[in-house]
Amino acid sequence: MTAAAACSSYTSEVTERRGIPAASFVQDVQSYLSQSGLDVNSALAFLQERLQQYRVVEMKLLAQQRDLQAKIPDIEKCLDIVATLQAKKDSSEALVADFEVSEGIYSRAKIEDAESVCLWLGANVMLQYSCEEATALLQTNWENAKASLEVLVADLQFLRDQVTITQVTTARVYNWDVHQRRLRQATTPKES
Amino acid sequence: MQQAGTSGSEVEVTWEDQQNINKFGRFNNRLHELNDEIKAAKEKCENLEDASNELILTDEEIVRFQIGEVFAHVPKDEVESRIEKLQEETSKNLEKLEEEKESIVAQMAELKKILYGKFKDSINLEED
Repeated sequence: MTAAAACSSYTSEVTERRGIPAASFVQDVQSYLSQSGLDVNSALAFLQERLQQYRVVEMKLLAQQRDLQAKIPDIEKCLDIVATLQAKKDSSEALVADFEVSEGIYSRAKIEDAESVCLWLGANVMLQYSCEEATALLQTNWENAKASLEVLVADLQFLRDQVTITQVTTARVYNWDVHQRRLRQATTPKES
Repeated sequence: MQQAGTSGSEVEVTWEDQQNINKFGRFNNRLHELNDEIKAAKEKCENLEDASNELILTDEEIVRFQIGEVFAHVPKDEVESRIEKLQEETSKNLEKLEEEKESIVAQMAELKKILYGKFKDSINLEED
């Protein structure tokens, strides 16, 4: 029992991650039920509820992940065009580009000596930056997005581990109950 | 998918088993992601291949190349080198993904051996 406690302390020390409660691993179903004072049905209901909560959080995290995964290529596109503008400026050429003025309607622009670009910062604010500053800012944004994505992926992995643990625990409680019923059944027919 | 159950037969599930099951679940998730990523990378490779073939056929000296949201007028040979660079990046990325997939498949097979060895048919690690 002490050995089991020692090895389970490895993750049971992590009781939550960013507000997600950790699922506790059940060593022995019978002692789990008697310790928590639950009967089989309420234990199953509890686990089921937990599972539902995990599902809700998973949906939320997945949506965040999708947003970030879309945001990163967008930033890369921005970096790309700023770099192009800068390269054109350095070789003192004009950049000729077709751009969309309205859905399906294109016009031609000639951009000479692009000293600066305007970045949409959000909240109805656009700010003018020199190309260098814009690149630096976009680069920082890109790095931040990458870092948040990494954290998010780790959160999702943690969450999925908790889901798996809960599922396994559910199966074990259920099977334990079936086993108990069988044992009881095996003894009662003799009495009748 | 990664459901586990110890049916009537009393096989003790230890924390180590649970961790193996978790690991298996993680690998399985990553495998699905990888399959999608590999598919997307392959598609990108094909598109770039098509683009470079079209470029060989065209007589135009200046072609429109999408950078950011606009179609920039770029000399043909510059586009050629840009596409070449993109192709290189994409195929390198594809290679990396394939390698990761291989290692994950191998590790999953290893875990299957361990888990099936202990739980026999009380556990199901197959898809569907």
